[in-house]
Amino acid sequence: MTVLLLILAILPIIAGIVIKVMFVPASNGIDITGAHIFFTIDLPFGGLPISESQINSWLVILSLFFFCLFLTYGLKTKDMSKRQIVAEWIVEKVEGLVRSNMGEFFMGFGPFICAILGLSACSSLLTLVGLFPPTSDINIVGGWAMMTFILITYYKFKAGPLIYLKSFGEPVPFLAPLNIISEVATPISMAFRHYGNVLSGSIISVLIAALLTTLSQLIFGKLPGFLGEFPFLRIGLPAILSVYFDLFSGGLQAFIFSMLTMLYVSGGFPEDEYFKRKRLKEAKKQNKQAIENTNGGI
Amino acid sequence: MNNLDIISVNIWQILISLCNLVILFLIFKKFLFAPVKKILAKRQAEVASVYDEAQKEHDDAMELKSSWDEKMRTADEEADRIVKEAVEKAENRNEVLLYESREKAESILRKAKAEAERTKADAEEEIRKEIVDVSSALSERVLGREINMEDHRNLIDSFIDNLEDK
Repeated sequence: MTVLLLILAILPIIAGIVIKVMFVPASNGIDITGAHIFFTIDLPFGGLPISESQINSWLVILSLFFFCLFLTYGLKTKDMSKRQIVAEWIVEKVEGLVRSNMGEFFMGFGPFICAILGLSACSSLLTLVGLFPPTSDINIVGGWAMMTFILITYYKFKAGPLIYLKSFGEPVPFLAPLNIISEVATPISMAFRHYGNVLSGSIISVLIAALLTTLSQLIFGKLPGFLGEFPFLRIGLPAILSVYFDLFSGGLQAFIFSMLTMLYVSGGFPEDEYFKRKRLKEAKKQNKQAIENTNGGI
Repeated sequence: MNNLDIISVNIWQILISLCNLVILFLIFKKFLFAPVKKILAKRQAEVASVYDEAQKEHDDAMELKSSWDEKMRTADEEADRIVKEAVEKAENRNEVLLYESREKAESILRKAKAEAERTKADAEEEIRKEIVDVSSALSERVLGREINMEDHRNLIDSFIDNLEDK
């Protein structure tokens, strides 16, 4: 059963490779383009192109779903399996991260932060198997940043609209336009930071590949036949660079994105006012109830 | 080529990606965090119950131990008391025995003394008689005549008494 779930977790990635091989025209590796569009659904505002990045992120979600099932299959309180240890490790790490960065009030954010980390890291790591990384598509990362923005605004609104509006007038009222700009800039900067890092990684990889191809043609071009064409210098060095651009950068960007989400959401949340308001509300409720009780008594 | 541009903003794609994130959030919540937290809570409860049990057993053992200690202490006292009693009894008996034996010994001694006295007296009497007889016989022989036995006896007796007095 566990093996089956593990296979199901890996299957989406293989499916992604198959789709890529079947439908995406091969390139020589030195093109810089966006995601391949399979087809477009007609909708207002420009239609919905179903592109590689969409498909790949769905595949990642599917894969992560089965991976979760694989990890949490047959949990026991004693004699834990390695899978269970990994599952508990993930949960405890993420919860610890949320607790230290956001506090006890936001403990419900654990799965959300875990989702950002998992989706972002796995999407970036798709480059390792040669797939198009969805994180190098501005729309994908933009969606996540929008989610973060919605959360920030939601938690700012929790203490009431007046306090939300007042927060723009701080520290001095005439800075309000700047505050509004910075508010809007937050998700945009987050999206562009993540997308730009992953995309620039691919671009640099492509540029270096092109450079190395040219160089090896210069050096080995005199060799006869196939040997002259083969870019020898492209062996080795791109792999090392890929460790940085794909593994390290991908993981780091996922971490930064989730970290910023946590900091912005918990930082924008006016805790004191919220609890004050909550207390007031409860007092009012009790008052109301007391009045109702007395009315009922009469 | 049927590709997207490097930067192409599409509202639908953004929405779908947003929904993807929410879906993954729900997946993680339902299939990773919920079961793991449940199992953690369960384990916590189990550990707590095990601790409780251990504590209870420990308490029981301590109670048992204290009761045993109490019993041991009373047993010691009992033993002390018994030994003391036995010793006392033995001493009493000893004394009694000692007393009895002393008594016996004294009685024996007394008896022996009385015997000795009596023997002595008997012997004296005997000797006196003998002496009287012998002296009377002697006197008869010397005087050649029958003497008054009664007078003689008195004479000798007085003589012997004189001897004894000196």
